[in-house]
Amino acid sequence: MTAIAERAVPAGTGRGSARREGWRRRGPLMPALIFTIVVTQVPFLLTLYYSFQSWNLLRPGSFHFVGLGNYAAVIRDAEFRDALLVTVIMTLGSAVIALVLGTLLALLLERKVLGRGVVRTLLISPFLIMPAAAGLLWKTTMFDPVYGLVNFVLQPFGVHGVDFVARFPLASVMTVMVWRWTPFMMLIMLAGLQSQPTDVLEAARVDGARPFAAFREVTLPHLRPYMELGLLLGAIYIVGTFDEIYIMTQGGPGTSTTNLPFYLYQRTFQGYDIGQAASLGVATVIITFIVMTIALRTVFRLFTETEGR
Amino acid sequence: MTAAQAETAAPAAPAVRKRSGAAARTGWTILAWLVGLVFFFPVLWMVLTSFKQERDAYTTTPRVVFTPTLDQYRAVFSGGIGTAAANSAIATVFSTLLVLLLAVPAAYALSIRPVKRWRDGLFFFIGTKMLPIVAAIVPIFLAIRNLGALDNVWSMVVLYAAMNLPIAVWMLRSFFLEVPRETLEAARLDGAGVRQELTEVMLPVVAPGVAATALICVIFSWNEFFFALNLTATRAATVPFFLVGFITSEGPYWAQLAAATTLASLPVLLAGWIAQKQLVRGLSMGAIK
Amino acid sequence: MAEITYEGATRHFPGGKVPAVDALDLAVAEGEFMVLVGPSGSGKTTALRMLAGLEDIDAGRITIGGRDVSDVSPRDRDIAMVFQNYALYPNKTVAENIGFALKMRGVDRDERSRRVAEAAKLLDIGELLDRKPRNLSGGQRQRVAMGRAIVREPSAFLMDEPLSNLDAKLRVATRAQIAELQRRLGVTTVYVTHDQVEAMTMGDRVALLKDGWLQQCAAPQELYDRPANTFIAGFIGSPPMNLLDAEHHDGRLTIGGARIDLPEAHRAAVGRLDHVTVGVRPEHLDLADDGIPGTVSLVEELGAEIHLHVQAAGTGVVLRTDRNRRHALGSAVHLRVPPERVLCFHPETTELLFAPEPAP
Repeated sequence: MTAIAERAVPAGTGRGSARREGWRRRGPLMPALIFTIVVTQVPFLLTLYYSFQSWNLLRPGSFHFVGLGNYAAVIRDAEFRDALLVTVIMTLGSAVIALVLGTLLALLLERKVLGRGVVRTLLISPFLIMPAAAGLLWKTTMFDPVYGLVNFVLQPFGVHGVDFVARFPLASVMTVMVWRWTPFMMLIMLAGLQSQPTDVLEAARVDGARPFAAFREVTLPHLRPYMELGLLLGAIYIVGTFDEIYIMTQGGPGTSTTNLPFYLYQRTFQGYDIGQAASLGVATVIITFIVMTIALRTVFRLFTETEGR
Repeated sequence: MTAAQAETAAPAAPAVRKRSGAAARTGWTILAWLVGLVFFFPVLWMVLTSFKQERDAYTTTPRVVFTPTLDQYRAVFSGGIGTAAANSAIATVFSTLLVLLLAVPAAYALSIRPVKRWRDGLFFFIGTKMLPIVAAIVPIFLAIRNLGALDNVWSMVVLYAAMNLPIAVWMLRSFFLEVPRETLEAARLDGAGVRQELTEVMLPVVAPGVAATALICVIFSWNEFFFALNLTATRAATVPFFLVGFITSEGPYWAQLAAATTLASLPVLLAGWIAQKQLVRGLSMGAIK
Repeated sequence: MAEITYEGATRHFPGGKVPAVDALDLAVAEGEFMVLVGPSGSGKTTALRMLAGLEDIDAGRITIGGRDVSDVSPRDRDIAMVFQNYALYPNKTVAENIGFALKMRGVDRDERSRRVAEAAKLLDIGELLDRKPRNLSGGQRQRVAMGRAIVREPSAFLMDEPLSNLDAKLRVATRAQIAELQRRLGVTTVYVTHDQVEAMTMGDRVALLKDGWLQQCAAPQELYDRPANTFIAGFIGSPPMNLLDAEHHDGRLTIGGARIDLPEAHRAAVGRLDHVTVGVRPEHLDLADDGIPGTVSLVEELGAEIHLHVQAAGTGVVLRTDRNRRHALGSAVHLRVPPERVLCFHPETTELLFAPEPAP
């Protein structure tokens, strides 16, 4: 792996040409940068602006400045706190379970089993299925109390007629999420396993490590950065889960499966309270940003460390 | 393997040794296949059900034997999935092209001839990905409405491009870093400018990486639900939006639902299967290095 | 300390019938330093890995200390191995790296630190104990790899080209250190290299392999003076032995037009062949007023001596002369071949027919 190809700007070529060189380098970056700013940052700034207003689309002319009033309401909002809790449980739970399962699957697939390629093809399928389709599929053919397969399969264990989506909404939604994200984790962990230098493993064998000890002492430390990456990347995506919730439970029963994105959606497109929704959005962003910055700095340290080699 | 004392009878002619571990290998193979099938089963069931008559699908005990029919697919097509698919295709293809157009030079600027503050640049892109799109939906919705561009497939193209751009930049950058430095330096010494560096030296090496990035973008664009739900209605409805119609319909429409979900998932599923290697490269290596 | 034997050991290339190591018979005595040498693809590394248990044995067997270990896993063979790329555990400190095998065997912490410190002192890496491999230089890593092997006090050391990743100067110094260490510890050692200089200087005996076959196994000097075939003759020694085609009639050789009379002892071995491959070492050739005619094609000045490359007898010939004998490129010279120093090889089988006793 090569390090950054050269230093950022060549020195000692005179002020004018250095500046030109600087722009030549920035040039290719500009289109993407401008595009992103226009389509994502500008709207965000507008959201910020709206968050300081009270504005309900159903009441035309209700646009007026209320300062931090919306934010105060957010902090007092019990539903917001509930949504936050649900988000945390859903995200961490799904990500961690998917990671554990993904690691186990990767370990399985790493061995020379017959037809390994086909098994891998089968295993990545859940990730490719449209999330909305997956939600629909599980809600009907799998979880239905009368006609669903899960009930049918669990019959020998004395389970029948259970409406999973109604009685265990969070678990049901998380089951679908884990089903979808395990392949993602598996692929990352598989890359980690395959990037292990074989001679270190052989050295461990010669040094007397049994398979499990070798795994614990050599493989696991090697996999740690991959696990961190998988969790981080997965969490970034999983936090924004919307499709499965919308399709399967519409956030209910009650608010048991309402996460932050869904809550925001409700306030925006069902309540039409723009001011409130905006402040919710900003609050969500702030929280996400803080958490992710901490996590990202850790991964970035990983990045820059490897590049220093 | 145990440290057993081997037989001391020294063979006059060397014996051929039996390869051990064949039994263990079979065990793992069986387990792997079992797990693979369990994970795949819902997909299999979905496809199976799509060929059933409703009465065969909506049963208490699952039916494995049945007379297959294409009725469900006919119904789904007459229900309008064709237009939805066309919209999805346009949105996916064009947004991916737009992403590549923007991301390739940007990734270049963050790797090969890096901008002075490339770290900040990268961080910025990743940062935008972390903001839940739901937060920015309000002004986006209003802006698009004011532009009269609601229910327009091209709004989707722009939005999907913005959605996928950060990941594309991140992935492409890591693939660019793979190009051996010596090759680039040799090209520069030979007088290659930026454009030639890109096309002659780099593109051949990073072509699989670009394919992987494109595949990821295609997957995320095709499956995208939120924007489609809120910003389209009848004309620009994409496939995920089409599926919404099945949510509320309780009752015996499961086979049709299965047909719809199968069709919805088919393109990405096939693309992912065929370009599996690229997919793996994209998801794991692109993100890691 | 243990003796090691290979008995008809064979290993096929994975999925193929072509042997990587073909019926190898080798015996390494207790405490001996045995070098396996050969060009790439000769099977030397495979043979070492078979001894380690990292490669299966397809036929034959291997014993360590009289025990048949062909089906025994590496961890139970009581061997330690130094890998070509050192294979250090990247997430562990130097101390943890060295002590790893002891930890696996349940040695308690105090005993472990003591033995690690001892090994570190022996290899002069005491101050590095808390560092991680990525913060070490190549030479330091190599010593850590050695430390990891010696701390276990095993029955045998296995080394897979441990010097090949070091720069030239370090290589020479480390070579001496390894040889001295082995003498001090007296552990049976099997050492793989492609460098014949290492083989000659370090080994008690050298086993030369080619294409999976053992060509010859003997003490270095024996290999030098009495190579069993032309391949060995050309492999051992630098610059390599000159091999020339000669016509033979009744005890008289004709090489490149010049005539040489074979001594009595040679004649019996050569018999009635009308062609012979003649081998003569670069240091035994001399420039004279008559002899084999040739043209100087290259002059290599090495400071203490000169290597002269001469086109003669239809091939390139190298001779070593002292620094005073300079000759211009392209000049015509004559090479004198001392008959009493000449080796004779069979022209088709390439086997050694006769080698003279080395001069005292």
